[in-house]
Amino acid sequence: MSEAVIELEKVSKTYGSGSAETKAVSEVSMTVEHGGWVAIMGPSGHGKSTLLQLIGGLDRPSDGRIVVDGTELATLGATELAALRARRIGFVFQFFNLLPHLTALENIEIALWLGGTKNTNGRAMDLLERFGLGDKARHLPGMLSGGQQQRVAIARALANDPGILLMDEPTGNLDSASEGDLLTLLSDLNAAGKTLLMVTHNPVVAQCAHRVLHVKDGRIVSDARNREH
Amino acid sequence: MNLWTLVWRNLLRRRGRFVFTLAGISMGMAAFVALMTIGQGLTKEIKKQAQGLGANLVVTPKGWCAYEQISVLTGEQLPEAIPMPELEKIRGVAGVKSAIPYLNEKTAFRNQPVPVIGVWPEEMRTLQKWAIESGRYFNSPVERAVVVGSAIAKQFKLQPGDTFTVRGEPLPVIGVLREAGTKNDIATFIPLPLAQQIYGVQDKVSFIAVQVTDLERMEAVSLKIQEVANVAVVSDKQLLASVLSIVGTVGTAMQAVAAVGVLAAAFGIVNTLLTAVYERRREIGILQAIGSTRRTLFLAFMFESGLYGLLGGILGTAIGGLSAYLFGPYLTDNAFTASLRQAPMPTLDNGTVLLALGFSVCLALLAGLYPAYRAARLSPVEAMRYV
Ligand SMILES: Nc1ncnc2c1ncn2[C@@H]1O[C@H](COP(=O)(O)OP(=O)(O)O)[C@@H](O)[C@H]1O
Ligand SMILES: [Mg+2]
Repeated sequence: MSEAVIELEKVSKTYGSGSAETKAVSEVSMTVEHGGWVAIMGPSGHGKSTLLQLIGGLDRPSDGRIVVDGTELATLGATELAALRARRIGFVFQFFNLLPHLTALENIEIALWLGGTKNTNGRAMDLLERFGLGDKARHLPGMLSGGQQQRVAIARALANDPGILLMDEPTGNLDSASEGDLLTLLSDLNAAGKTLLMVTHNPVVAQCAHRVLHVKDGRIVSDARNREH
Repeated sequence: MNLWTLVWRNLLRRRGRFVFTLAGISMGMAAFVALMTIGQGLTKEIKKQAQGLGANLVVTPKGWCAYEQISVLTGEQLPEAIPMPELEKIRGVAGVKSAIPYLNEKTAFRNQPVPVIGVWPEEMRTLQKWAIESGRYFNSPVERAVVVGSAIAKQFKLQPGDTFTVRGEPLPVIGVLREAGTKNDIATFIPLPLAQQIYGVQDKVSFIAVQVTDLERMEAVSLKIQEVANVAVVSDKQLLASVLSIVGTVGTAMQAVAAVGVLAAAFGIVNTLLTAVYERRREIGILQAIGSTRRTLFLAFMFESGLYGLLGGILGTAIGGLSAYLFGPYLTDNAFTASLRQAPMPTLDNGTVLLALGFSVCLALLAGLYPAYRAARLSPVEAMRYV
């Protein structure tokens, strides 16, 4: 097994306090190896999104240890966490991923700007073209279909060439044709060495990953390798 | 792509709200700038008139109010109240270089009010360093003739040889004064004895302009004059100060009201931006997810707010400057320049522009602090939970 890029050790997250206390994630330990593709499945409200947010440094765990790309997140300040998100992690959410008043191209450019990557040789445009959206560069997100928006979102997540993509139900809002396109895209990215961690409700989508984790009540209840991998 | 692109798009995305918020700050600034500009124009004009007086001391009847003192500067009609014998006494005071009387009256000429000032021709000419544009000056202190100011000559198309009537008395126009940029341009002058005869005030004058031999001893001369004659004396400086203080007080009060207007508009900015922070929660979460720091979010909202200040300041200064130029003459009409047909020109100088822009931007930045802080404090996880 190759080295782990994501490591969780007894990670818990509790929201609220007293009677309103919710334990969204409960003592989760797991690793994702470099170049892996992991799907997380489980019923709604059982902590899947919270888990991704903790890994991406959008929130701090109540307990436990998270190491991403060799860095223990607890040692990073807010600005360093932002830098980590900007350069080493790409986020894709289910919907409304894009800034609605920026064009497809600008959505990518702003990620480049935040990550401090020079937009030399039209890198933003290249990314769009790679995802078949070259002619949509000047379109606002509202003028794009759901599948096109998700592809822009993925292009944006890749802007600063991060090693890890964290995706929260990326196909949840798509018709099956767009879903198929997106899976092909993800598979290419994975083949190119990106580590993918995605939450999904769809068994067909989960089937494409190498490994499927089942989450229930904030705990990992099963961890299975897909046959073909 | 940089922060400015984002800020600019954000600013313009809700057109209606943008326009109304901007209108608020622009209107406030316009009022502020207009009043400031008019006030400055007025102050400049008053100073010029005070210089035009050419006297160190002004002798007035006792108990004159400020408005009458202002009239000394404007050439307005004044009560004829100082008896001639008092003038003689004043001329006898040691340290008085010259003391020359003015009788400020008014006549209707072609249905327009025109100031008529009775003067001692030679003394007046020396004091004012008058130059003649056309025709000639008075030959004798009792000549039955009129010399007119340049603006009056232009307004009524008067030339030497024409006839001017003072209270129904036809008088030949013998000369036109060269333009001086003071109230003298919009007055007509006749010898004092003639004025006293026409207006039936044989032994009285309105006020007396005094020059002293030694400026150091001005105070002593002033006291001495009040000792020997039953009059009040103000120095040109005091006169200027008291007129300016009246104009200034009114101006400051009006500017304060306008500033409150700008302040209210600043709360409009707070409101607009707080609403924007609320509306953009999810976007703020996304920006954080793709690596925006809190500082960047804070700056984005501060810039947006600052832009309201800058745009509002520019618009307000333009509108304010323009309205001062258009309406200033009417606004200042009663305050100072009842008879000045060439009303004081409001001056929109660089200092005013910079002050106005600075004020507006600073206030807008202050207004942006709280919304920007709120945006920066948003937890990305909280922000992302909303769609
Ligand atoms: N920011 C939050 N504040 C309070 N409770 C939260 C917050 N985020 C999630 N939760 C709660 O934590 C639990 C897990 O939520 P989530 O991770 O979104 O689940 P999933 O993604 O599996 O649907 C839910 O009960 C949810 O209500
Ligand atoms: Mg979820």
